[in-house]
Amino acid sequence: MDKAFKGEHLFPGHLGQLFIVLSFGGALLSAVSYYFATVNKDNTDNSWLRLGRWAFYLNSISLVGVASCLFYVIYNHYFEYHYAWAYTSKDLPVYYIVSGFWNGQEGGFLLWTFWQAVLGNILIWKAKSWEKPVMTIVSFVQVWLASMMLGIEIFGTRIGSSPFLLLRDAIQAPIFSNPDYLSFIKDGQGMNPLLQNYWMVIHPPTLFLGLASVIVPFSYAIAGLWQKRYKEWITPAIPYALFSAMILGTGVIMGSLWAYESLNFGGFWAWDPVENASIFPWLIMVAGLHVLIVYKNSGHSYFTATFLILLSFIMVLYQSFLARSGVLGETSVHSFTDEGMFWQLVSFILVFLALSVYLMITRRKELPISKKDEETYSREFWMFVGSIFLGLSCFHLVLVTSIPVWNNIFKTKVAPPTDLVGHYNIIQASFAMVITILTGFSQFLRYKKTETTKFFITTMVYMLVAALITIPVIYFSGLYKLHFVFLLVMFGSVYSILANGKVLADALKGKFKLAGSAVAHIGFGLMLVGALISAGTRKLVSVNEAGVGIADFNKSPAEQRIAGDAHENIMIYRNEPIKMGGYTVTYLGDSTSEPDHYYKVDYKRYNETGKIADEFVLKPHVQVSSQMGFVSNPDTKHFLSHDLYTHITAIPTIKQAPTQDSQTAAAHGDENDDKNYDPPIAHEVAIGDTIRFREGFMILKSLKKETAIQNIPLTDSDVAIGAQVQIFSNGKTYSSEPVYMVHGKSVFDFARTVDDVGLKLRLSKIIPDKSKVEVTVYQQPENKKPWIVMRALDFPYINFLWSGTLIMIIGFLLSIFRRNKELKTV
Amino acid sequence: MKKRAILGLVVIAVAIAVIITSTAQSSTYGTIADAKKTSSELHIIGHLDKKKTLYYDAKKDANYFSFYLKDTTGVECKVVYSGTEPEDFERSEKVVLVGKMEGENFHASSILLKCPSKYKQDKINIATAKPNSASI
Repeated sequence: MDKAFKGEHLFPGHLGQLFIVLSFGGALLSAVSYYFATVNKDNTDNSWLRLGRWAFYLNSISLVGVASCLFYVIYNHYFEYHYAWAYTSKDLPVYYIVSGFWNGQEGGFLLWTFWQAVLGNILIWKAKSWEKPVMTIVSFVQVWLASMMLGIEIFGTRIGSSPFLLLRDAIQAPIFSNPDYLSFIKDGQGMNPLLQNYWMVIHPPTLFLGLASVIVPFSYAIAGLWQKRYKEWITPAIPYALFSAMILGTGVIMGSLWAYESLNFGGFWAWDPVENASIFPWLIMVAGLHVLIVYKNSGHSYFTATFLILLSFIMVLYQSFLARSGVLGETSVHSFTDEGMFWQLVSFILVFLALSVYLMITRRKELPISKKDEETYSREFWMFVGSIFLGLSCFHLVLVTSIPVWNNIFKTKVAPPTDLVGHYNIIQASFAMVITILTGFSQFLRYKKTETTKFFITTMVYMLVAALITIPVIYFSGLYKLHFVFLLVMFGSVYSILANGKVLADALKGKFKLAGSAVAHIGFGLMLVGALISAGTRKLVSVNEAGVGIADFNKSPAEQRIAGDAHENIMIYRNEPIKMGGYTVTYLGDSTSEPDHYYKVDYKRYNETGKIADEFVLKPHVQVSSQMGFVSNPDTKHFLSHDLYTHITAIPTIKQAPTQDSQTAAAHGDENDDKNYDPPIAHEVAIGDTIRFREGFMILKSLKKETAIQNIPLTDSDVAIGAQVQIFSNGKTYSSEPVYMVHGKSVFDFARTVDDVGLKLRLSKIIPDKSKVEVTVYQQPENKKPWIVMRALDFPYINFLWSGTLIMIIGFLLSIFRRNKELKTV
Repeated sequence: MKKRAILGLVVIAVAIAVIITSTAQSSTYGTIADAKKTSSELHIIGHLDKKKTLYYDAKKDANYFSFYLKDTTGVECKVVYSGTEPEDFERSEKVVLVGKMEGENFHASSILLKCPSKYKQDKINIATAKPNSASI
């Protein structure tokens, strides 16, 4: 330390850094010990095993230590730490301080490795004969994750990025030559307003638990190959694979809920590369899970099951690389930029890819691959086909999402499709159609062999019923306007819900252990129904047919069919009701709680008799800050059958953080302020006289001698007179009191503004001989009146999406319980 | 023929179909000069010319926004977008447009902004208390 800085709290950082190094060392020691414990065939010697366990405990405890230190730093606003400074600020409420914790990449890794430590401890407790090989792999991954947080230079390259990096080390600035620099850094950068949402408090931990949990089935698969216990690893891995698929799915949907609630692209899924990347592991895990069950029940498809489970973890690593390496560049709005960890992230993938490939190749001759073909009319065959299609769907997502990666490798300049959303929607819907139909009719098949006649009859009957239900649904929801493939997905989803509904009904009669998959499939079907209807038939409420603009070319053809040629944004003046999409909408006014500006928008719907059938106020808000600029946050009214979504797209320029309220600002006779008004008109009036103005009139009620004016002490020689004025405009009454003052030898007057009417009043002169006063009236020109530009959308039946998700989670839970029971009986 | 073999062929066929569709629908990163030569949509990377006016007047048309973009070759072009001014537009350091030329103007169907990354933009804001001069 060559220099002493005042006011820094270096202890928590040093302690935290020590914990990071300890967690790294612990993981390394644990991996090595478990390796030797696995290789050592002398069963009487448990020393390696014990060492491995203790080292893993050390890793876990150190991670808790890292997290505590980081939380301490953030909670106490120690802005000498870059992490605290970059992601939080003093005005942040405590629950967002918690989410500030995983705002940065380092926090993300910490969360990931923390969950893996938790899962590792569960495995130590539960895995029994699998503990040694499985924990070797888990610990080895822990080594990699800890290395991502090290932030230590080795041979000139920086390994990882530490959350305890000091601000003065992170940024070069002349201010840091001042030993007292901290007294100048009053506050942090603050959190991106978009992240200040309750979903951001629980979505990242859930998603990271999902990502972390993929390690368990992966480690079992590796351990099975390594230890040549090829068949045995499947059964214990199934409950973990179910857990992983459940949590990953939940995490992804929470992310889309967050996007729906707080972003303003107007939807829950935008096919952004980072979003896509988050479902790679989910798709592969769900596919792998199904093939695991196929193998368990029929002995078929061993290779595919193992392959998919190994691939699911590679996908976890790949999505982490996409999100963190900066490779996505201009294709994503969410991704982090490169922090010099590109090659570290790449090698993380390559090491585990190489390990998987190596084991698959060396063991290929010994794998229990069945030689005989499965029956065409068997459940295992069609489950297998379904899983393959899940894999293909992921293949397409990976292919298109990775365009920047291909450009990087092949030095090409390919851009994503211009109608990206349409491209993804149609291709992914085609896969969804195949998958939903398979989840339907495979329910009527049995493992090994099924009687064909009965199967065909039931399948056809259910297909017919599904078609009969789908047709009116498509007709009344307006889905028929969309591409044909979406109608087929609708049919497939309805069919799947019906077929699985039958299985559920049977399950409730006795075969209860089958309920899990049926419930999960029903949930999945409902999710698709909700997603299709709400995204496909979302209605534009803020239809703007006015305007001299250009033809509406910024819509995909599918969107154009819904919205027609209407423009999406509409401007409304304050207190001037406007009709749109069946509502009468009024912009009532705004309120500010810095840095948020809330805009009150009143929605009324009248029934045929002209009475108000429905009324609610939405408060979309805009955050204006010097750090983040202008950020708009939507507000949504949730109904059972639809949601009304509103957000602000433009506002008059907001003066940043006014230090005084408008009255005192005007009192200084701010000349700039006068520019906001029409040329003033002076009126000589006596008490009781009326002054007319464009939108009403005002009456001078009385003149009053004031004794105190704001913070100016008045002496006996001072005179202050207030004119009490009552203003009538648009059926409302307001009052105002401009003040005239003689203070010492000078004359002042304090203007008063009445914002709702757009008026400013000055008591500009006292004319004692006529017993009159002069009131100067400033009126805002029409076009200076407050306005907002907003966009409103209606999402029908979006609740199917959220409730479907919930049902799917319940289905997964039921399956986990069932498979766990099987585990105990084996 | 074994079912697995048929399935394998189906998988390969679907995979090839996916690759072909994705390649066919993929676009290119081009320049304004490229845009003038084609009638199909393409991606253009450039930056906002801050010296020229950004036009958005909600009172005249809440769905008309125009600005001038300088592409990577330094060629400039007026861009028209049917919508409001994107958030933080003036702070962007890089703009990615999707759209095509319509006469002299480039009609953007989507605008993606790359704002200066947090790590480069890091500027220390020195908070100095302003003296509250309450002069009347």
